Amino acid sequence: MSVPVSSTSSGDVSARRGLRPRRAASRHWEDRLWLASSRAAVTIPLVGLTFVVIVLFFKAWPAIQVNGPGYLSRSTWQIGNLYGGIQHIHGVEIPQGANYGAWPLIAGTLQSSVIALIVAVPLSLGTAFALTERLPRWIAQPLGFFVEILAAIPSVVIGLWGGLVLGPFLSAHVYPLVANHVPNVPVLNYFRGYVGQGEGLLTSGLILGFMIIPIIAATTRDLFNQVPSLPKEGAEALGFTEAEVARRITIPWVRSGIVGATILGFGRALGETMAVAMVSGSIQGHLANNIYGTMTTIAATIVTQLDSSFTDATGFALANLAELGLILAVISILVNFGARTIVSRTSKYRAPLGRA
Amino acid sequence: MSGVDTVRVSTAWRRGKAHGFRALTYLALLFVVGPAILLFVNVAAQAIPHWSWSVLTTVPLGNGGGLENAILGTLVIMFGVLLLGGTTGVLAGIFLSEFVSVNRKGKERGGVLRASIDVLAGFPSIVLGYVGYVALAVGLHWGFSLLSALIVLSLMVVPYITKATETALRQVPTTYREGAEALGMRMGYSLRKVTLKTALPGIVTGLLLAESITVGETAPLLYTAGISNGLPTWQLVHQPIGYLTYYVWTDWNQPFPSLHYLSYDASLILLVMILTLLVVSRLIVSRSQRHSESGR
Amino acid sequence: MNLNFRKTARVAATLTAATSLALVGLSGSAFAKAKPKPKPKPVPTATLKVEKPIKAANITEAGSSLLYPLWNLWTPAYQRSFHNINITPGAGGSGLGISEAASGTIQIGSSDAYLSPLQLQANPGLLNIPVAISSQMVVFNIPSVHTHINLNGQLLAKIYSGQITNWDDPAIAAVNKGNPLPNLTIVPLYRTDGSGDTFLFSTYLYDQKGWTIAPGTSISWPSNPALVGENGNGGMVSGCQAHPGCIAYVGASYLTSVLAGGLTYASLENGLGKYLPWNLAGVAAEAASFTKFVNNGAVSMIDAKAKNGYPIINYEYAIVKQKQSTAANASAVRSILEWAIDPMNGGKTSFLTQINFLPLPAAYVAGSYKLIRTIHS
Repeated sequence: MSVPVSSTSSGDVSARRGLRPRRAASRHWEDRLWLASSRAAVTIPLVGLTFVVIVLFFKAWPAIQVNGPGYLSRSTWQIGNLYGGIQHIHGVEIPQGANYGAWPLIAGTLQSSVIALIVAVPLSLGTAFALTERLPRWIAQPLGFFVEILAAIPSVVIGLWGGLVLGPFLSAHVYPLVANHVPNVPVLNYFRGYVGQGEGLLTSGLILGFMIIPIIAATTRDLFNQVPSLPKEGAEALGFTEAEVARRITIPWVRSGIVGATILGFGRALGETMAVAMVSGSIQGHLANNIYGTMTTIAATIVTQLDSSFTDATGFALANLAELGLILAVISILVNFGARTIVSRTSKYRAPLGRA
Repeated sequence: MSGVDTVRVSTAWRRGKAHGFRALTYLALLFVVGPAILLFVNVAAQAIPHWSWSVLTTVPLGNGGGLENAILGTLVIMFGVLLLGGTTGVLAGIFLSEFVSVNRKGKERGGVLRASIDVLAGFPSIVLGYVGYVALAVGLHWGFSLLSALIVLSLMVVPYITKATETALRQVPTTYREGAEALGMRMGYSLRKVTLKTALPGIVTGLLLAESITVGETAPLLYTAGISNGLPTWQLVHQPIGYLTYYVWTDWNQPFPSLHYLSYDASLILLVMILTLLVVSRLIVSRSQRHSESGR
Repeated sequence: MNLNFRKTARVAATLTAATSLALVGLSGSAFAKAKPKPKPKPVPTATLKVEKPIKAANITEAGSSLLYPLWNLWTPAYQRSFHNINITPGAGGSGLGISEAASGTIQIGSSDAYLSPLQLQANPGLLNIPVAISSQMVVFNIPSVHTHINLNGQLLAKIYSGQITNWDDPAIAAVNKGNPLPNLTIVPLYRTDGSGDTFLFSTYLYDQKGWTIAPGTSISWPSNPALVGENGNGGMVSGCQAHPGCIAYVGASYLTSVLAGGLTYASLENGLGKYLPWNLAGVAAEAASFTKFVNNGAVSMIDAKAKNGYPIINYEYAIVKQKQSTAANASAVRSILEWAIDPMNGGKTSFLTQINFLPLPAAYVAGSYKLIRTIHS
């Protein structure tokens, strides 16, 4: 059996569609089984997603009532005195002193993911260039495969390494160098001050960047390979240097694909849990003091605080985690639709998937 | 003359830039591959000196023992996901590639279905795990169980399998389908014997990638699968099941060094499993490519 | 299929149990009330009889990561005596232990903290059974100092809230006369995961004036940039090793790693104003001051008024539903817990001292035993 992989057979979908045999439902049981089962299967993601959002909403409802919109802007995370009394707010039982605010978590999620992008995009583009344009095939292929493997390393293993090896190394040898030499001017002074012990915003951002590089790099590499060689060769014949070819021909050619991959990498970074839980410092109540400061993200909070929330017999702590989950779900759905709009507006290129 | 000089100067400048660019791309590659190699070396260096093959054949007992339950548990979960998520994903992919109807403007329907698949692919796994715990383990009284874990994980990987299947099927030339129809094959028969068979390598690759995601997941499993030190049973509910990532997450900060070794052993086994899955999928791809090239 | 099978098995188990009881001459329906009958003589000084499980059972334990190593030591030993019982111990955290035991997903939960009135109200029939005593050290890393420096709750509260930032602070010097501490920034460590250690430590801090954050397994620490989070007790030890000037609260089961890491533990001021370094004798003295089993075991032992007592100690609890799903499970749970607190078995110091726990005092063995005997199906 041969499998043609050339793109000629899979060109414009709608044009090709007319050529495909019409699959009128025949009466044969097998045909009907295929049709019925695949129709059922294709609705499962939609049904599952709806179910998940509904469950989250119902679980979160007491918290939404009590917290109000201020939840998004408050900076506090007090589970309350579990051995004290009960308060009633809007008919919801909550422990005395319980007070939640998600702002540091939302900010931490966005901050660490933006750092991840700032790190990952240039590195991914550079890697993709080296793999497609520079290196000979015999070395580019194994290296490319290696980059793909990175996408599949379990995040606990990355977290283990980030927490035990990378974080301590950076805080001992790299961060002080930066912190002591950056000028004390606005924006850059965020890089000054106490560098911490290797757990915090920058380490989380770097680890996240490391985790999304394979997604962006592998997609970009495939995109670069699709750029026809004729325009590139033409440009080179006109005396363009490699850098100029890259800037003026290759990247513009596949820009929307890169943007799509980048945004999906961003989405992955937003939702990453275990690795961040292991390197962020997990502090809920306040924002990072500087770029090295301890912080946490929504996803990491859900996994590290789930256990503590069980100790709250009123169930309010659990409802707060559901509300966090709902916020994260909304953010990731928005990012996803953002990616789809950008990609579909600028090209017919299909957005790649977030993982592997 | 002076014009020539300017050209020369700018040529030198541009050549410099070109060299700089090249150096930067190599640097980028180094920064991507370097830490990854360090990670692999670190895990291997921590695991191998204390490695004993009994890890594969004993269950955790006290502050030591092996990981047989976790390895088998991970395999059981992989198998279950292949069954549940694999079937769903492949069928969904078949639908999107073969059965999607076209509206009057000539555009494909099913935009909402596609959107939900994309959203699910980027959906935070811990949120799925939370809902799995709340709705399945607690709500349906399944407890920590294989079935809760399988449903959550399957939902997670279905988008990847669907996309891979759809892509693979779309690459099957339309002429194959037309030929089959011209020969009078029934739709189901030609789908099975021609289209799916041709697209099989692509589908299998998608399944293997989904399996590699399954192997490495922790967050959605912690509160759905629970943990068990016993060997996995095929009981679907009311019986927790062990898996490898749990031991990485739990054992690395226990007060006994024997447990640290176990945690690194689990990391190493995980890496080996994932490497195997990816190498196999790569072999399938390159083999099918070679075949297609020689067949042309 | 499985469900049906299980249901059949359950019915069969109940029938077997009922029949066997009837044969012994007890009324099968009053199984729970039958408990005192086989033991006519009262428990004098903490001797008890470990029940032989009536039937094979799979028992899952989960919860406190402090108790997890102990369960790992207990499990093989218990199973050597009672082959038909299979125990799977798990970690996961005290909160998980409580909620899973309450929902019946697992049979034995374990927790570093006793149940709050709220939890009892939400889950009537949930028992907290003291099974052992654990304690907590406050460790530090000052390269030039290897004596047990004196610290008290006031100082610790100020250190964690950022009011005291250096080891040469006069407030610290005031309680360490003749033992000058160097000019070194203090790095206070806290646990990022929900943990019973944080519960203990924050309870100790909550006793202090000026500290208003309610105790819990994870608390909202004051905004103090010097604070550093660590995952697990292991993380506390390695983090403290890596950062000269650190101070950390560490469960006593990590004593070996604390010493191996070159760290030192502090002397703490107890409820009577006396400074005592952590040691098992001090823990025992503190525990011994609780001579009465009160409040169904829900007792805080922090800062008790014991002459030579060490201030941060607590009971470790098994959290069990009084009404188990099957007679076999009820019997197995009773048997396991009785074995665990029995001074001749699980309560032997040879188990407990491996992780620096102490056995229950006699009054608590008797009290726990009473509670265990009320478990029924």
